[in-house]
Amino acid sequence: MAAAVLMPKAGISVESCIITQWLKQPGDTIAKGDVLFSYETDKASFECESTEDGQLLEIFYGDGDEVPVLVNVCAVGAPGDDVSGLRPGGQESAPTAQSAPVQEAPAAAVQQPPAAEIPPASGDIKISPRAKNLAAKQGIDVRFAAPTGPYGRVIEQDIRTMMEQGAGSATGAAFSDAAAAQAGSFAGTGIGGRVGVNDLTAPLEVRTATAVEVDVGLAYEDVKFTGIRKVISKSMTASLTAIPQLTHNFSFNATEIMAYRAKLKKNGEAQGLPNITLNDMVLYAVSRILMSYPALNAHMLDPTTIRYFRNVNLGMAVDTERGLMVPVIKNANRKTLTQISIEAKSLAKQAQTGTLSPDDMSGGTFTVSNLGALGVESFTPVINPPETGILGVDTIIQRPVEVDGEIRLYPAMGISLTYDHRAIDGAPASRFARELCRALENFTLLLAQ
Amino acid sequence: MPKSQFIDPAEVRKAGKIKFTDIPVNAYKKTVKDEVKTFGKENLVRIYRDMAYLREFETMVNLIKTQGSYNGLEHTYPGPAHLSQGQEAAAVGQAYHLGREDFTFGSHRSHGEILAKALSCIEKLPDEELMTIMKEFLGGKTLKVVESAFKADSVKELAINFIIYGTVAEIFARETGFHLGLGGSMHAFFLPFGIYPNNAIVGGSAPTALGAALYKKCNGKDGIVIANAGDGSLGCGPVWESLNFSAMDQFRQLWEEGRRGGLPILFHFNNNGYGMGGQTRGETMGYDLLARIGAGISPTQMHAERVDGYNPLAVIDAYSRKKPLLESGEGPVLLDVVTYRYSGHSTSDASAYREKEEMDAWMAVDPLVTYRQELVKAGVAKDGDIEKIWDHVRETITRVTKLAADEKVSPYISFQSNPRIVEDLMFSNEKVASFGTEKPSVLAPKEECSRVKQIAGKERFAYKDGKPVSKIKAFNYRDALFEPIIDKYYEDSSLISYGEDVREWGGAFAVYRGLSEVIPYSRLFNSPISEAAIVGSAVGYGMAGGRVIVELMYADFMGRAGDEIFNQLAKWQAMSAGILKMPVVLRVSVGSKYGAQHSQDWVALPAHIPGLKVCFPATPYEAKGLMTTALNGTDPVVFFESQRLYDIAEEFHEGGVPKDAYELEFGDVSVIREGGDITILTIGATLYKAVKAADILKEKYGLSAEIINLHSLVPLKYEKILASVKKTGRVVLASDACARGSFLNDIARNITELAFDDLDAPPVVVGAQNWITPPFEFDAEFFPQESWILDAIHEKILPLKGHVSTVNNYLPVEQIRRAEAGV
Repeated sequence: MAAAVLMPKAGISVESCIITQWLKQPGDTIAKGDVLFSYETDKASFECESTEDGQLLEIFYGDGDEVPVLVNVCAVGAPGDDVSGLRPGGQESAPTAQSAPVQEAPAAAVQQPPAAEIPPASGDIKISPRAKNLAAKQGIDVRFAAPTGPYGRVIEQDIRTMMEQGAGSATGAAFSDAAAAQAGSFAGTGIGGRVGVNDLTAPLEVRTATAVEVDVGLAYEDVKFTGIRKVISKSMTASLTAIPQLTHNFSFNATEIMAYRAKLKKNGEAQGLPNITLNDMVLYAVSRILMSYPALNAHMLDPTTIRYFRNVNLGMAVDTERGLMVPVIKNANRKTLTQISIEAKSLAKQAQTGTLSPDDMSGGTFTVSNLGALGVESFTPVINPPETGILGVDTIIQRPVEVDGEIRLYPAMGISLTYDHRAIDGAPASRFARELCRALENFTLLLAQ
Repeated sequence: MPKSQFIDPAEVRKAGKIKFTDIPVNAYKKTVKDEVKTFGKENLVRIYRDMAYLREFETMVNLIKTQGSYNGLEHTYPGPAHLSQGQEAAAVGQAYHLGREDFTFGSHRSHGEILAKALSCIEKLPDEELMTIMKEFLGGKTLKVVESAFKADSVKELAINFIIYGTVAEIFARETGFHLGLGGSMHAFFLPFGIYPNNAIVGGSAPTALGAALYKKCNGKDGIVIANAGDGSLGCGPVWESLNFSAMDQFRQLWEEGRRGGLPILFHFNNNGYGMGGQTRGETMGYDLLARIGAGISPTQMHAERVDGYNPLAVIDAYSRKKPLLESGEGPVLLDVVTYRYSGHSTSDASAYREKEEMDAWMAVDPLVTYRQELVKAGVAKDGDIEKIWDHVRETITRVTKLAADEKVSPYISFQSNPRIVEDLMFSNEKVASFGTEKPSVLAPKEECSRVKQIAGKERFAYKDGKPVSKIKAFNYRDALFEPIIDKYYEDSSLISYGEDVREWGGAFAVYRGLSEVIPYSRLFNSPISEAAIVGSAVGYGMAGGRVIVELMYADFMGRAGDEIFNQLAKWQAMSAGILKMPVVLRVSVGSKYGAQHSQDWVALPAHIPGLKVCFPATPYEAKGLMTTALNGTDPVVFFESQRLYDIAEEFHEGGVPKDAYELEFGDVSVIREGGDITILTIGATLYKAVKAADILKEKYGLSAEIINLHSLVPLKYEKILASVKKTGRVVLASDACARGSFLNDIARNITELAFDDLDAPPVVVGAQNWITPPFEFDAEFFPQESWILDAIHEKILPLKGHVSTVNNYLPVEQIRRAEAGV
């Protein structure tokens, strides 16, 4: 009897994916684990492995088709098997090359900004009542727990591990693996085919852009963008062609945040605090000040509609081998400096290792991009649409200042705010930047608020 | 198998014949006229009056049941009505000579028997005694209702109203009935008149009456016991078992002086020709004449006779001859009392199995007609006198029925004002050190018993100076049962024990070994292999007021005593509204090495039936404590033991098993070992597998397991269990019972509901496979092993690194497959 292969659910909030390219054709003999096709969300690309042995009998969606998750993509079985029962939505026959009939799937949901209120529900996470209670008590986000219970269940010890490591730290990677495993792209090696801890900790395949036909001998190489590069390409073009954006540069006296950082470095670890960086402090300050400037914590839905968010989902630009990635700290305005620091590190690490889930990269309402480490003194960050603002963080340089007739040097840190002029005018945008500077100059006062 | 009796092959193999003596059939030929002198006119008329009461009573129930009205009273009665119109002469004849010290047990068609016995007692008892009985019964509640509605001319008249009212109210399920209406039509009785329960199970009274007769005999009590049954009950095994048990040779040949002699029991078969619709003679039986079977039971032929149950004088005559026989130790007796019922088996029986001619023929000889004619013919009464009797009877029955139907004066028990009204009656929960009133009869002081001496030299803990004590020197589980039992023998003169091979052998597992040296036959005897009669008679013994331990050897044999355990032992305390106590300990042993019919842990069966206390000690400390509690209590206890455990010594309780008596509370649990990572709950011998599993968990996986043994299942206190689960968040429940329907599932469900938020994984039940028990060589394939406990943890609770499961019982897919396959 023929069996169907489903479009995997690549993340909790992912509702449909686009088939990038079929790597097998009808008639091919395939085995479980063979890569059938590559697919992508707007944030990442993946490969779909066959969950069945047999002959690829029919493909229900072609390259470029958008397919709702967990819908039959193709049928595998013995030659001659009836596949009519497997065609999604009662299709008469495969519409392969045509645009996919995404009927009930809310395709727009992928592109549209997700609801800003609360991070995606953790309903898909299997977790024991005891672990759930403990996590709630400790204020731990269970989505970051690495499940070690039977059948991928998060159990008490997983939460305790997180508590020991500082909540929400390095375990996120395993979580996204687990999510992927639940989506069917992992073959369990445990008893009864179950996905075990070993499966979750096995290294992930590197999922980079796939090179197409390269003409050896030529002096150049044409590479078709896929996945992240393609997304960046589209997004940046859209931003700079469609958005009337401009940048204001400021600088502030970083003495206090540097002193605070030094203090934390010296004493923080003993008190169980994470290594809190200057950037973490900027993120923290932005998350607080932004609450008074709703036009910068917003999405332009169309040229005449703006959506203001009640909480700050703070995107942080991370440079990775695969390109720029922007994971999001959800509800940053509700999180403590420590929580933001832990989460920022975890997200950055996942971005580096390619283990971010699409959910981790969606829902941003404002972005911070820090190029200070590279010595950039001032730059023009490009807005990540549909957001209305982005803050560039620059390097620190010593600047002279006259104090009581004397010239003294102080460390000045630059910030560069790019804003969408449709959403906000120059003066209020500058007020935001100035207030941010004041807040960072008096960081301990901000902390006390 | 007493050594004193020699089975001589020469004697056994000798040729000869079995000779029977003639069994009288309807031998009584006298008329009323012949008996006037013997009885006196008044008594002869009263016999008619009593029959009239019985007839009118059943007529009333029939009309209420079928038409919803009687003499202008509209009333609905939804319950059973197995009526006895036509059987009045048999009942009144039976009761005529019986006093309150004589016990009657009813069939399921017993309204007549109950009333006849009551009317007979009322006639015999002095007014003062009657008043005391009525005033004291249920605190005078029943009497008050009767007195409020009726000013009686005499105490006897009041008592008649009282007894009829109490019976109707009981049938109508009223609080003022004889036992709050909780027994009803088929479970009515009135102990102050020696009227013991009737029984909704056909033949159910045969074993219980047998037990009451044992009580009379073993406690030197006056009076005889009547087991009422129908002819249809002769298709029932427990009835035959009881006939045989009652006629055992040992009563005459082996029992000690003072207790020697036959049992004072009379099996009264109301032979109405039908067992429901099945005609006994000619269709469903082969005895031709029921009285014949007496000849098959004993050399005395059970003094069997066929008696004309359509002539009250014939029945009275039979009882006047049989009662002295029973009183002088010549029992048992069997009477085949020919009678006929005009109504169907129940009111829904359309009597499709008989012709109207048959009914008419019997109605033509109806004693209410023929005996009346004789009374008139003999000049004992005039027609007018008889009519007056009828008027009075109708007036009385109408009055009390109206009273019983009136909810204002005869309310139902109120679940609203007391939702626990039945719950509170399920167990008596009393402590009675002794039910006996005499000095316990023993053969020698306890200290002279060789077993007692042997135990005195034993070590009471499994380890001494850190080294294991040798098996033979250690006080073991079997000793731990023996100790409280022998102690109770010297405390409670009413205590008796019996079962298969309990005396010289000491029980198949030697728990009683040595007891026969000091305990006389009448208190410790071998019974026939009759599990139904063993348990059923214990029920009767307990009802009658004695304490008893019976033993079924293997727990698997409970099936043979199913009705007696589940319908009799479990039910009578609550059905009697707490009037009856049931100090019965039923010992059963879970087998090992004996295959599919001798190796089953069936705790779930009695634990499922409300009304039974159930325990299963796993250590000597638990065994002694629980047996002591059971023997001091007043409730029925199904006491599980295990053949895997008899030889073990106490390994857990600090200081070993105390020499002095101590009680272990039923429902409490034993925390065998404390731990923080996982809770293992056990029942029975599986405790020792759990200990091994806990050792492995600690050594290989660094997990500390808390082991809790559930030594008693009903009742069961959850506090310690929940506290442990709240601590560990994980729980495995293990026992040797087949996993499907295991009592552990019930506990697992309660834990899930009561500690859900604390659970880190679902509670997992580890039980035996849902198979037959294969031969002992495959024990490890069938019964839970320590590795299974690890498997369950690994698969469902907490993956154990490097653990490879030994069985696949705990894989969801396998669980589903097995359920689908029915295994």
